[in-house]
Amino acid sequence: MTHNGTKSKYDVVVIGGGHNGLTNAAYLARAGKKVLVLERRHVLGGAAVTEEVFPGFKFSVCSYVVSLLRPEIIRDLDLPRHGLEILPLDGTFTPMPDGDYLWRVNDHGKTRRELARHSKLDAEAYEEFGKAMQAMCRFVKPILGMVPPDPATLNPRELMKLLFIGRRFQGLSSEDKYNQVQLMTMSAIDFLDQWFETDVLKATMSASGIIGTFLGVRSPGTAYVLLHHYMGEIDGAFRSWGFARGGTGAISNAIAEAAREAGAEIRTQSPIARLIVKNNRAQGVVLQNGDEIHADVVSSSVDPRHTFLHFIEENQLPEEFVADIRRYKFRGSSGKVNLALDALPDFKCLPGEGAHLRGAISISPSIEYMERAYDDAKYGNFSRHPYIDMVIPSLTDPSVAPPGKHVLSCFVQYAPYKLRPGLNWDEQREAFGNNVIDTIRDYAPNIKDIILHKQVLTPLDLEREFGLSEGNIFQGELSLEQLFFLRPAPGYAQFRTPIKNLYMCGSATHPGGGVMGAPGRLAALEILKDSKGAA
Amino acid sequence: MPAARDVVIIGAGHNGLVTAFYLAKAGFKPLVLERRDRVGGAAITEEFYPGFHCSTLAHSAGPLRPEIVHDMALAQHGLKFITSEISATALSPDGCALILYEDGRRSAQEISKFSAKDSAKYLEFRESLQKIGRVVDEALKLSPPDIDDPSRSDLWGILQTGRALRKLGKRDMYRVLRWGPMAVADLVAEFFETELLRAAVAARGIFGTFLGPWSAGSSLVLLIRSAADPHPSGSAGFAIGGMGAVTQAMAAAARQAGAEIRTGAEVAEIKINNGVSTAVVLRNGQEIATKAVVSNADPKRTLLKLVDPTHLAPDFVMKLQHYRMPGTVAKVNLALSGLPDFTALKNGSGSALRGRIHIGPEIDYLERAFDESKYGNFSSNPYLEIAIPSLTDPSLAPDGKQVMSIYVQYAPFKLKDEDWQSQRDPFGDTVVKTLSAYAPDLPGLVLHRQVITPQDLEDTYGLTGGHIFHGELALDQFFTMRPLLDWAKYRTPISRLYLCGSGTHPGAGLTGGSGANAAREIVKELRRIGR
Repeated sequence: MTHNGTKSKYDVVVIGGGHNGLTNAAYLARAGKKVLVLERRHVLGGAAVTEEVFPGFKFSVCSYVVSLLRPEIIRDLDLPRHGLEILPLDGTFTPMPDGDYLWRVNDHGKTRRELARHSKLDAEAYEEFGKAMQAMCRFVKPILGMVPPDPATLNPRELMKLLFIGRRFQGLSSEDKYNQVQLMTMSAIDFLDQWFETDVLKATMSASGIIGTFLGVRSPGTAYVLLHHYMGEIDGAFRSWGFARGGTGAISNAIAEAAREAGAEIRTQSPIARLIVKNNRAQGVVLQNGDEIHADVVSSSVDPRHTFLHFIEENQLPEEFVADIRRYKFRGSSGKVNLALDALPDFKCLPGEGAHLRGAISISPSIEYMERAYDDAKYGNFSRHPYIDMVIPSLTDPSVAPPGKHVLSCFVQYAPYKLRPGLNWDEQREAFGNNVIDTIRDYAPNIKDIILHKQVLTPLDLEREFGLSEGNIFQGELSLEQLFFLRPAPGYAQFRTPIKNLYMCGSATHPGGGVMGAPGRLAALEILKDSKGAA
Repeated sequence: MPAARDVVIIGAGHNGLVTAFYLAKAGFKPLVLERRDRVGGAAITEEFYPGFHCSTLAHSAGPLRPEIVHDMALAQHGLKFITSEISATALSPDGCALILYEDGRRSAQEISKFSAKDSAKYLEFRESLQKIGRVVDEALKLSPPDIDDPSRSDLWGILQTGRALRKLGKRDMYRVLRWGPMAVADLVAEFFETELLRAAVAARGIFGTFLGPWSAGSSLVLLIRSAADPHPSGSAGFAIGGMGAVTQAMAAAARQAGAEIRTGAEVAEIKINNGVSTAVVLRNGQEIATKAVVSNADPKRTLLKLVDPTHLAPDFVMKLQHYRMPGTVAKVNLALSGLPDFTALKNGSGSALRGRIHIGPEIDYLERAFDESKYGNFSSNPYLEIAIPSLTDPSLAPDGKQVMSIYVQYAPFKLKDEDWQSQRDPFGDTVVKTLSAYAPDLPGLVLHRQVITPQDLEDTYGLTGGHIFHGELALDQFFTMRPLLDWAKYRTPISRLYLCGSGTHPGAGLTGGSGANAAREIVKELRRIGR
């Protein structure tokens, strides 16, 4: 059908051209469905996007590293053929205020020697820790790949799923059980305290436990996120931790190519006004330009607040469900500062250009530093001394910056979406950005002199620009009460919704955020299952 | 050497006494050894100033498991409980008072003065908490199952709990699953808009723990405590004669059942002979041979101090060392020349003070109090839970005088640069100063002030780390993981050495639950292996 066709008819309309929406579309198209993807913005990718923000400087504006992209998706969609190339991101470099640093790389020997500099015991424990975490990953991975069971039903199939998990757990060695239970329940610091003594090591490792949450490193429930760090590493070593050549947007583009090749149609600049729902059955969408697009199935990759509270009349949904969606916590806690640089930052503790700039650079010098950063946020201020995770992709992938120049991407936490009364982000944006730069300057004094351009994204900007409610990068907090069979709402964790033929396929569904693609894929499989059932 | 005893119980705290009672009932001849000159552990009444008696540590009961009160016939042994019709009075510095009654409707009425919405929500919350509390209680009564190979009774217990869980219906069942890991601040915000009410309820989720209202998992603490006492803000049950009366009655019951109790008898060591506990050695050198040892002391004290760790596997020792018990509560007891005048309670202040008084008007206030403790300082504006037991039981103080019992949180066991000895007075001053903002005349009424720091809790009362619950109440130290996964069945790696204190499941507050569960398991086992 033609673009202005007001009566075009599809099997599935996918709302949102983010990596999950595109993955969803690709799998559906490959199964022979007539699929249309509608993206509000002028570019595809959602939060997994590359944009030339300043002439010659291409930024992975939001998500900036490839971490957990599911290997089965890379295989099924043959993404390398569609232009996906992942470049290694080697190691994590943590500068310290006292002029020392901690530099972990993927070369175990080197890391061991480096750790030994700080603590012989920790150097020993590190290997052990890695092994333990991999055992945990083996336990968790199939759960990431499964449709969450519904513990409240008596449906045998659901109970079998619970039993399956129970059995797997029973199958673990007593040691692994102990670790698993602790991982699922403890705070990152309490957990790491049992393994390591070096403060800066624990601080840096714990950082991965708080990303995208409104929790501190001492808050229970942050430990299990540490797993995700190892999740990537067991599929084909460290290659799955890296950059996509051309920026994170390249991932979305590759998936989009795979989808198009399979016959999916993709439209940008096509914002949705509302869903068409007749007698509790989704029948299509209405664009803001008035076009009606009819489809047997609507699959939404945008977050539940948009899907259910903006695109649908409340009275078309069960009260209880609406209450659950209202209660679903977004609470963005991070911002992004993207810098176009004239030269490389020069770190006091390890001067000059070197391999340490090619990995992640983490401003997380101590546990107390991390915890105090959180304290500021609790009372509605951005952290005076924030946790910053920096990468300089232009060192690994020169194509993203003019010759000799560089792009520096800074993920910043905490930046609470809700500032304390009297403050608003439009007025705070500048101060926030400067505070980040000042923080970096404490470690790399030349930073101010080498900045050509800067882009500051507050949680409010993430909401406005990318449609992430309250600026939460995971479409909702990754806290225990919002995971697995509780994501996004109890009883609706299986990608289905109270409305027939309306599905969710975004990061607000199991297994959640991060450029994984898993929700998009799992949702597609469920949609296909149902359509077979119907046929 | 005299014939070996049946069972020696180390510590005459409430759990030790409950275990002694049930073991005696089962036909054993337990000998209870108490280090101090009196029984009761943390449930004691002492004259802390001439004529003034106070529940030195715990001031309100858990409350006790009804079946324990019944089995031990505590009433016949002279225990008289009075549950105040006012459970909690939450005060705000701007002179507001929120009074919560034992009776839900009356509470709702009171709340409606603040918010009609909250008043309705309160009843819903209370009902939900009651239903869920009953289910949690099922789990608390269980001995934690053995995960590796569940016994028949384990499976039965799990099945029962599962049933109870399903009986809740979808809505409340999901609530249990969702609430458990939540931050209590989020939980109360889902129900209430009145800050004072939010704070009063949330306080139950952080009491006695190293958590703030914004810490995930604090809701679990609220749920665990609701099992014994489903009142949203906790009810106020006082024993005539103070908490000491409770343990006195328990001791009497245990003695009558055939237990022997010796005070001033400190156990210095548990003798172990190739993996089996065979005797205890007292501080005075006396050795008492026994067929089994049950310890009411916390897991760390029992297995890392009384037992020579060389008898334990290194990784068990390591795990136990990682068992978290950082104390956060201190106690201040005041002898007062009269009843303080609370600004918020101009009229009828008397009756409003018969419940527990809550100082901690906002969630943020509580969280800020917590923040300071994270960095090793005591809260400069602490969260206080206060009781004036002499209003309910005048016999505790001379005529017209009062005793005020104050839990103070946060008081971290490990201070950053100071030690508690030097901080005792500054800390006491902080508490009185905090209170004087609500009752300006208080400082003038103080005849005597007793400050019990976390250090005292460890030194004098034997609570390692000064932790009043014998270990954090957290998901990873709960049920089959209390104190450690695979060691939650009141057994230890040492054969014939058992645990019965709050460091075992369920372990929250003064309920006697741990002691009763432990006794059940120990009797089973001792019968199995023969006396």
